[in-house]
Amino acid sequence: MTKIILDGREVEADPKKPLIAACHQHAAHVPMYCYHPGLSPVGSCRICQVEVKQGEMPARVTVACRTPVAEGMIVNTEAPKAHEARRQCLEFLLKNHPLDCPICDKAGECDLQDYSFAEGQGQGRSVEPRRKLEKRKSLGDVIVLDQERCILCSRCVRFFEEIPKKAQLTVAGLGSRSYITTFADRPLEGNYQGNVADICPVGALTLKEFRFQARVWNLTKAPSTCGECSRGCSITVEVLRRQEVKRLRPRPNPQVNRYWMCDHGRFSFDGLNTPGRLAGALVRGTRGLEPLEPHTALDALANLMRVHGAPLVVASPWLTQEEGKLLAALAGEATFVSPPPSALKDDLLHTGDPCPNRRGLSELGFAPLAAAEALTKLAGQGFALLVGERIGALLGREALATLPAGLRLVVLDTHPLDVPASELELGVPNAVERTGTWLNVDGIEGRLSIARSAPPGVAPLTRTLEELARRATPAEAAR
Amino acid sequence: MTRETYLLSRTALPNSHTLDVYRAHGGYRALEKILKGGYTPAQVIQLVKDSGLRGRGGAGFSTGLKWSFMPDPAKDPRPRYLAVNADESEPGTCKDRVLMEKDPHGLVEGVLIACFAMRVQAAYIYVRGEYRLPHDRVAAAVAEARKAGLVGKNILGTDFSCEIFMHKGAGAYICGEETGLMESLEGKRGHPRPKPPFPAGFGLWGQPTTVNNVETLQNVPFVIDRGPDWFKTMGTPKSPGNVLVGISGHVERPGVYEVPLGLSARTLLEEYAGGIWKGRKLKAWIPGGSSTGLLPASAIDVKMDHDGLREAGSMLGTVSMIFLDETACTVRAMKVISRFYDHESCGQCSQCREGTQWLAQIFARLEHGQGRMEDIELLSSLANGMAPAKTICALADAAAIPTHAIVKNFRAELEAHVTHKGCPLADAHAPHELEEAHA
Amino acid sequence: MSKLEVLPQKLRDEFTELATHYPLKSSALIPALHRCQEELGGWLTPDILEACAEFFGLEPVEVFGVASFYPMFKLRPVGKHLVSVCHNIACNLRGAEEILAAACQAAGAKPGHVSPDGRFTVERVECQGACTAAPMLVLDGVFHENLTPDQVGTLLGSVK
Repeated sequence: MTKIILDGREVEADPKKPLIAACHQHAAHVPMYCYHPGLSPVGSCRICQVEVKQGEMPARVTVACRTPVAEGMIVNTEAPKAHEARRQCLEFLLKNHPLDCPICDKAGECDLQDYSFAEGQGQGRSVEPRRKLEKRKSLGDVIVLDQERCILCSRCVRFFEEIPKKAQLTVAGLGSRSYITTFADRPLEGNYQGNVADICPVGALTLKEFRFQARVWNLTKAPSTCGECSRGCSITVEVLRRQEVKRLRPRPNPQVNRYWMCDHGRFSFDGLNTPGRLAGALVRGTRGLEPLEPHTALDALANLMRVHGAPLVVASPWLTQEEGKLLAALAGEATFVSPPPSALKDDLLHTGDPCPNRRGLSELGFAPLAAAEALTKLAGQGFALLVGERIGALLGREALATLPAGLRLVVLDTHPLDVPASELELGVPNAVERTGTWLNVDGIEGRLSIARSAPPGVAPLTRTLEELARRATPAEAAR
Repeated sequence: MTRETYLLSRTALPNSHTLDVYRAHGGYRALEKILKGGYTPAQVIQLVKDSGLRGRGGAGFSTGLKWSFMPDPAKDPRPRYLAVNADESEPGTCKDRVLMEKDPHGLVEGVLIACFAMRVQAAYIYVRGEYRLPHDRVAAAVAEARKAGLVGKNILGTDFSCEIFMHKGAGAYICGEETGLMESLEGKRGHPRPKPPFPAGFGLWGQPTTVNNVETLQNVPFVIDRGPDWFKTMGTPKSPGNVLVGISGHVERPGVYEVPLGLSARTLLEEYAGGIWKGRKLKAWIPGGSSTGLLPASAIDVKMDHDGLREAGSMLGTVSMIFLDETACTVRAMKVISRFYDHESCGQCSQCREGTQWLAQIFARLEHGQGRMEDIELLSSLANGMAPAKTICALADAAAIPTHAIVKNFRAELEAHVTHKGCPLADAHAPHELEEAHA
Repeated sequence: MSKLEVLPQKLRDEFTELATHYPLKSSALIPALHRCQEELGGWLTPDILEACAEFFGLEPVEVFGVASFYPMFKLRPVGKHLVSVCHNIACNLRGAEEILAAACQAAGAKPGHVSPDGRFTVERVECQGACTAAPMLVLDGVFHENLTPDQVGTLLGSVK
């Protein structure tokens, strides 16, 4: 590590990275557009200006993304000359940039807005007409491009070249006539398109899915982990007005997903918003499933366990380690549904295994079963538990409906299942409504946190299982 | 007045571009001297250093010093290259063209000597795409030289081998910038690279590379053949040798002339170019290509060498002098010049991409009667935002310098365009300028 | 679907030889695009760009990005004859705008456009390196210098 003086503090800088990385690592604010820590540096936007003094040379203002760190270098990110250089840069960028903020999705998380507010001037001096380019260019199913907003940072071009390693976008033309485009108006392809909307510093590349959906300052955000495959990319879950999950975005994690996530995971949040939640508990009565107080339902379940013994448990692979441990202690036979491999497997992030916690559950002793195997096993049981979000969907409602009514099936899922075999159903929180841990394909922990409250009457599954365990102890049973 | 010339000494001969004529007039003598005379590469570099030869592509950097930046092959055994910058695109400049068309073997020999000195085995001659005849003449010379055992393996029976490849550009001025040239040679958009790293450490395909201008290289055989001391008898101590000056614009005899560095601009205008044409008076002039900006008539006695022009607040550049008479409009000239930089900016750097367009728009408004007084301060302010040294390459500086120059030297004319709401000099009979759209 | 057939074998053989001049095959792209433009109709169609991409192991979008950078590469149809008039400073001072006007009149085309009869494209270009022989124009790659407006009509009339 190299020692430099950064804004008056002596800090250690990684000599393999440019100066800007050290600045950010030590919380020194340096604006950036073309630089992105996950991509190769270019040095073209010229916004990351800092003042640097090395040895006997006079202090100079230079771009931090192309400056190697050197022992004893004195860096001042707040030097007046650096601020002036950034102000000039911003004025140039705003000369052609359309004043779209009122209708632009990026407002509120836009680097051009943010840096202009911090470093720019209140009013531009240009009276020249702005350049005219395509404003709503569809680049396929995922991305829409507004060429006028583009500040030509080329992050999107480099992303496709360097991450999925197949160029799909280019800067075309020359000079002030430059623009971003695909070849012959072809749509973008692949499972990683959404990332360019994240890394675009302005609202030039935006998600069709998110277009006009929400103002970002109305979104509450919570860190979490994607559950669509066993990579377990770190994500941020963003919820609008505490109700709908509106967006998932990757969260930097150098060990797992670096800065990226796949489109499949990114757009998988619809299921988290499906209405008709199982809020509380249901019990099968004479006229079908009827509401029941959750604690009464727990009593009933505890009773079933006393009478019929520890059940066959068929769990969802979305179960967390915390839930799994508690469930394993209650199970007679612990299994989880192993869905078929996904064709989305690639060399980048998607593992092809649609289970977020296969490894964790396996380590806890849960045996994997294909859905068909699980159904066969269930058919031969007298009493079984289906536990965890999506368990109904994984086994298939139609298939479950064929199970004999005599099988005393207890279902703990997010939505009611209501098949003839189900005797008792309890609501559980989904992945954005609870805390917990999954182990990804490499055994790395991915944590969940609460982005939104579970519906009223739905307790965390861990608490439900603890309550169940308490009821099942002889002392409790005696009561 | 006879002043010694050498660069153009063969160009008036019939078939000067052929090997026979070249050889009959001292050609390849320098190469033979080096290869047969047991010179080491280091000795050749030293000779060029001693001569004081400075680059003729516009930057004026010491050629021998540049060559010495190439790493020691014992320490860095990677393949290494020479790239010849024949992209000549600076407005006003057409002198490399003369050398390539009329003395292409001079370039070949200069290239071979440079490759020997820097221990390079492959040279690429990057010719601007529009220069068909110069390209074809040089290609033919390379082919002739190859046939004569002067290019390729074991040149003149020694263990010095050197390949020379021709390569065409496709019309972008920025590919005359050495790192833009390298990107273009590699088959990419001609985006200049930030420096450091410098070409000698990271050049073509990431390998050590030196980029030299055509005229610079064509000086080399003379330096070797006749010696550094001879070279220093011409020009000035800090700018020795002769240079090809291109004189164009409102003069009687536009042309490319070979002159020693250090003559006054007045001498060049009057003695070589016959003075301002049509009996008119000098109003403004450019010393070294459009990037060097307009100077007032009062500066005409400046010495045309690196220091003389620097002291006058300008640059020697490509020594391409352009003269404006009293009927010409400096604002119109800047409209044309600023339009050029707007067209040629590669577009990477924010200040250059937007700034060159902005400057061009302002000059166009001023010329066409939509200028405002505050535009004059704005021009200076924008030029200050673009340069010096704020961008990856010096194109932003090339646009900023002439902007500063017109504000400094011709402010009254700018102001007149505002008060007059148009060009006071516009000829009422001149055709309305046709639309700007490029194809 | 392969687009290589768009390039005649003769051209592909040329490109194979060209590629040997460089340590990286794709560095021959720009000279190759010149040859495509010269041999295949004067402009680079999307098929040509795609064929070159395939030949050089690049993505079509990369080839497009390169081609669109260089003013000499035409990405839209051009007339049979390309007339390029320099409008930079040395030529401007010696009557370039009159030359351009004469060229447009003789060609029957506006600058930057193809003439209705398809014979000419007239365009403005930057400094071509003929400053001491200004004004000038380039007709089908050949320089015509020291021009007067009267000569322009004859010059354009001399090509079919």
